[in-house]
Amino acid sequence: MRPYRAMARLAWRNALAYRVPFLMSLSMLVFNLAAMFALWQALLSDGNSLAGFTWPQMKAYLLVSFVTNCLVSTFTDFAMASRIRSGAVAVDLVKPVDYQKGRFAEALGFALLETTAALVVCTVVLVAFGGVPWPSPGQLALFAASLLAVVPLKFLIVYMCGLLCFWTQNYLGISLARTAISGILSGATVPLVFFPPWLRHVAEVLPFQAITNTPAMLFLGRSPGLSAVSALAVQILWVVGLWWLARRLWHVAVRRLTVHGG
Amino acid sequence: MHTLRVYRRNLGAHLRATLEYQADFWILVVAAVLTQGAGLVLIATIFARVPRIHGWGVWEVVLIFAMMVLAQGTSELLAEGTWGLAGLINRGELDRMLLRPYPCLLQVCASRVGMNAFGNVTVGGGLLVTALLHLDVAWTPARIGLALVLLPSALVIKVSLTVVANSTSFWLRGAINTFAAGMDQLGELTKYPLSIYGVGLQAVLATALPFAFIGFFPVSVFLDHGRLAWIGLLTPAVAVYCVLLAVTVFRRGLRRYESAGN
Amino acid sequence: MAPLIEATGLVKEFRRPRRDSGLTGALKHLVTRRFDIHRAVDGIDLRVGEGESVAYAGPNGAGKSTTVKLLTGILVPTAGEVRVAGVVPHRDRIANAKNVGVVFGQRTQLWWDLPVGDTFELLRDMYRIPAADYRRSLGRLTEVLEIGPLLPVLARKLSLGQRMRADLAAALLHQPHILYLDEPTIGLDLDVKDRVRTFLRQLVADGTTILLTTHDIGDIEEVCGRIVVIDEGRIRHDGPVEVLRDALASASSVRFQLSASAPLDLIRERLGDAEVTAPGERELVVRFDRTTRTAGAVAATVMGLVEVRDLRINDEGIADLIRRIHRPDEVTARSGAA
Repeated sequence: MRPYRAMARLAWRNALAYRVPFLMSLSMLVFNLAAMFALWQALLSDGNSLAGFTWPQMKAYLLVSFVTNCLVSTFTDFAMASRIRSGAVAVDLVKPVDYQKGRFAEALGFALLETTAALVVCTVVLVAFGGVPWPSPGQLALFAASLLAVVPLKFLIVYMCGLLCFWTQNYLGISLARTAISGILSGATVPLVFFPPWLRHVAEVLPFQAITNTPAMLFLGRSPGLSAVSALAVQILWVVGLWWLARRLWHVAVRRLTVHGG
Repeated sequence: MHTLRVYRRNLGAHLRATLEYQADFWILVVAAVLTQGAGLVLIATIFARVPRIHGWGVWEVVLIFAMMVLAQGTSELLAEGTWGLAGLINRGELDRMLLRPYPCLLQVCASRVGMNAFGNVTVGGGLLVTALLHLDVAWTPARIGLALVLLPSALVIKVSLTVVANSTSFWLRGAINTFAAGMDQLGELTKYPLSIYGVGLQAVLATALPFAFIGFFPVSVFLDHGRLAWIGLLTPAVAVYCVLLAVTVFRRGLRRYESAGN
Repeated sequence: MAPLIEATGLVKEFRRPRRDSGLTGALKHLVTRRFDIHRAVDGIDLRVGEGESVAYAGPNGAGKSTTVKLLTGILVPTAGEVRVAGVVPHRDRIANAKNVGVVFGQRTQLWWDLPVGDTFELLRDMYRIPAADYRRSLGRLTEVLEIGPLLPVLARKLSLGQRMRADLAAALLHQPHILYLDEPTIGLDLDVKDRVRTFLRQLVADGTTILLTTHDIGDIEEVCGRIVVIDEGRIRHDGPVEVLRDALASASSVRFQLSASAPLDLIRERLGDAEVTAPGERELVVRFDRTTRTAGAVAATVMGLVEVRDLRINDEGIADLIRRIHRPDEVTARSGAA
């Protein structure tokens, strides 16, 4: 455990080195949040509701989606990709540390900072726009648990995309594509209930929906009782499954690196 | 004429070099399509539930969106190099451009080709045509003339604003210009009808940073939409203003340029 | 005839934001902007005639590169005047660019992502070189610099030596009257260095005016006819390279490793006009004029006064001389003696 704690701490301290890409992605997310607020306000502010969403509920949804967008974003993303591309990954390989766990430890370190930044923005927005429905303590606990599960889940998706750098130099393209796909299928772009049934079914069987949809639904109390627990269980199952899948992918990637010399 | 020819050749040479990395090219085309696709999913799902946003119908909004995407693609094609300006200044590499008997700004612009450009120009162009076909526009000679003035003006505004944003690198001096990225993302807000925003933000996007003249205002006047449609007639004037602003800011910056090292 | 390069009272100051370290320093910097003024070039007068080949030497940070950037119009001078072939470079950049070629040893002029041949064609278009001239110029340069095989290669794939040759060609395609070179042989291996120097000598013989900054004695001795030494932004020495070489021929030094600290005053008294310094506690360097005494005599004198563990006899290079020229009192002492 000790080396991983050290790596998480180190990541936290190194965060300053990646502040430029972080600020860039944060500002993108903030502007996007502003646009979404304006758009939904225009649609819902006069007491309308769409697909069961009132304006206060939509505000809550947008904020949860903003937080899940912030978590495990640029730091893990570009830091890992640039390490693979520059060949510095060879140094990681000779360390007596499991690569995947090591990167996860770093992602946790960064997540601390990302959470702080997200909370600051949320507070400002809440002060400025006010009024979101607060869930009961029980719901809040479930929501918090699912938000915690988002960190490893999103990490694994980002991590696997990062591993693709063993095959292509163009991480920008991969990152953009992942952001777009994940944005649609997680519910970050639009709540999944707005989708036509076929697209909703597609989203429901994929891991992305557990990133935004699950915590947002729990926060809004839209998955009552047992279904809330099962939503959490699905989230955790995805984490376990993807952890294993990422390991397989890593082994294939490393074989490529060691056999073909990068 | 000579100036333009050299610009075209410079760009062409970079284009040829870029296209040699076929896989990268396709990854970025797909990424651009997916990214814009996510935006369209939002528009489509909203308009599946409501007929209009602040009086704007689905194809009208798509037309604004299309103008924005097309402008983005154009800027990535013609002025992507400006995104490297911060790096050029930071490393003192602007020197070599100052030593050639050719306008420095054009050398900077043509020093790179954005590979997303092809994806974005194709998607934007496709959407533009599709939206126009659905909108049942009466193509009188006057309207054709209007379109022929508005479209290039809008594209020029986008390119010029990109130059302005990145010219701040002369004052900011980092290796990456976070401010320019933020300004660009602020401009993304104008993908949706301007009236959904607060008055202050509307004023900024219409005057100080006239991103609204890339999509919203030209489309307003072209479709004769709303009380303030006439403002769209100012688009060519705004384009001239933006070009002058870009050239002035760049020149001012160049005077401050202190090369690297000493 | 007016000189080709003419600089009078040239001054360049840089403003550097003063920043305290740490987060509080960074925050403080956001609120209060304080600047330090650094004078990189401090009143330089320089005249270079047509066909001259001038070495511009001095330690790091002396203001060499800044001067070149002022002469080429990259930087705008804080004060003073520059004229190059009748043009004020920073005011009429484009006219000036056609007269001059520039090579930076540490930085390529080539488009990084393009094949070398494409770079040449772009330069042809930018400089509006007539087709016939271009063919002749390219043909000659490809032959002399042996860059034919490099034309289809991407610039970033070139080795340092190949890159330097391609850079030279790129700077000369438009047949400039003046060629500025900033550390042109830095990092090159001996063989390539030799080829570059031979090529530059040929250029000078053909009438091109050359201004070259360098740390390398070989560049100065083999290419240049005149040397200008600069330090702390001021010219310290200006004269023919031969004079310097003659001064060197007569100068020599002995370096001693001692077992105890040296009785400096006593040694100075015995050695008279020789220069005695102690770079370390148990180290001693004696510089003397070879025409008045021998290394053996110097060694014997020192050995009589202190126990010597080791000694080395060095002939001084231009590097040492330049290093010492920085102390102006010594320069006057030397030129007075010469």
